[in-house]
Amino acid sequence: MNILGPDGLVFGVDNVAACNQYLTDYGLIPRDVSAQGGRFEGLDGTYVEIRRADDPSLPPALPTGSTLRKTIYGVADAATLEQIAEELGRDREVKRLDDGSIETLDDMGFALGFQVSIRRPLEAADEIVNCPGARQNRGVNVIGAAVDKDIVPVTLSHVVYFVPDQHKAEAFYVERLGFRVADRFTNLGPFLRPAGTLDHHTLFMVHTPPHMQGVEHFTFHMANPSDLLQAGKRFQDKGYESFWGPGRHIFGSNWFWYFNSPMGVHVEYDADMDLHDDSWEPRACESSEDASQIFNFTLVDNWMPGGDPH
Amino acid sequence: MHLCALRDIPDGHSRGFDPRGGGRDYLFVVRRGRQIYAWRNACPHPGYEGASMPWRKHEYLDSERTHIVCAGHGALFDVESGECTMGPCRGLGLKALNVRLEGDEQLYWYPDAGVEEQ
Ligand code: FES
Ligand SMILES: [Fe+2]
Repeated sequence: MNILGPDGLVFGVDNVAACNQYLTDYGLIPRDVSAQGGRFEGLDGTYVEIRRADDPSLPPALPTGSTLRKTIYGVADAATLEQIAEELGRDREVKRLDDGSIETLDDMGFALGFQVSIRRPLEAADEIVNCPGARQNRGVNVIGAAVDKDIVPVTLSHVVYFVPDQHKAEAFYVERLGFRVADRFTNLGPFLRPAGTLDHHTLFMVHTPPHMQGVEHFTFHMANPSDLLQAGKRFQDKGYESFWGPGRHIFGSNWFWYFNSPMGVHVEYDADMDLHDDSWEPRACESSEDASQIFNFTLVDNWMPGGDPH
Repeated sequence: MHLCALRDIPDGHSRGFDPRGGGRDYLFVVRRGRQIYAWRNACPHPGYEGASMPWRKHEYLDSERTHIVCAGHGALFDVESGECTMGPCRGLGLKALNVRLEGDEQLYWYPDAGVEEQ
């Protein structure tokens, strides 16, 4: 099934104004922002939508009170949408919404939407780094460091669920929707990607007791590691609370930096994730500090060693 | 250890403190009138024990300021008892700290000797 990845995440929240401000400061492009919520887009149009927790248009919340109300997948075309409606319609209700999308539940009760993807093609410039001996470099008199650089998260990358049964959850996405397992932490769950992307993961699961079902985090891809570091530094300077990082994961190789959020989930910046195709053999190990990251830094204030020697 | 003046915290609001300069808040207080509730900034979420709770400096409460919220995964805590009422920390609570409002209208923290190390 030609599912490309998550197009959008919809949250029903307590503090709409705080979430609107937070996602704007994270760097997304705000659209239609009001006291009722707003839509916050990356460069390709993939988005996070904020609504009031009591908004009647949202699917019901999980009994645990998780604020994520819907994960909306973008699919390649209308034929794929029909294929999904037929497959999932065999054993559950699949609603057809006015906007042409379909809505249903996965086997853990997370609300899912599917739509012909709204993502726009990206034309990104590579980050060109000067590396001795490498063929391509930035070039003579071309400056790398840009203090005022405009940094916008590029595209919605992945979401991570707390699930009561990682095996049941994996089976649903693999058997019913054609996701592939990239790697797995045996004690937590699988890193999954749908057929329409090479990204290491667009979905990861963490096995937890049932009363914890919900969301660990979501993230947008940044263009490159230096954008990630610069965006995260700006975000922390605005007073937002860093949770983990910056660092670099091992499974997926993605650089990461996680923050707390008023949605009550962690929000990550990620960059430079591995790509895989079906020739890739999944790795598996228990999660641990050293299996989870190569390195983990903590931002400290800028300083001037040596200062003014006069 | 001196933290701040009572009037530095608007009534009903929360404020975080990093008195030993550890880089993130060690504790936070919630003010209700002349009542002060002081808690260690350490979420009891199993697997995340000790995680810092606010989403932004000083922001420990929900929008109505009726509950303490952990901005990691949304656990709600009772302001007065510190007990988790909703979310992943069910059955667990926050650690109370000894912060007193004294006659000079200032807040002071009295660390438990030997217990509250960094
Ligand atoms: S870290 Fe506080 S709710 Fe998870
Ligand atoms: Fe992630």
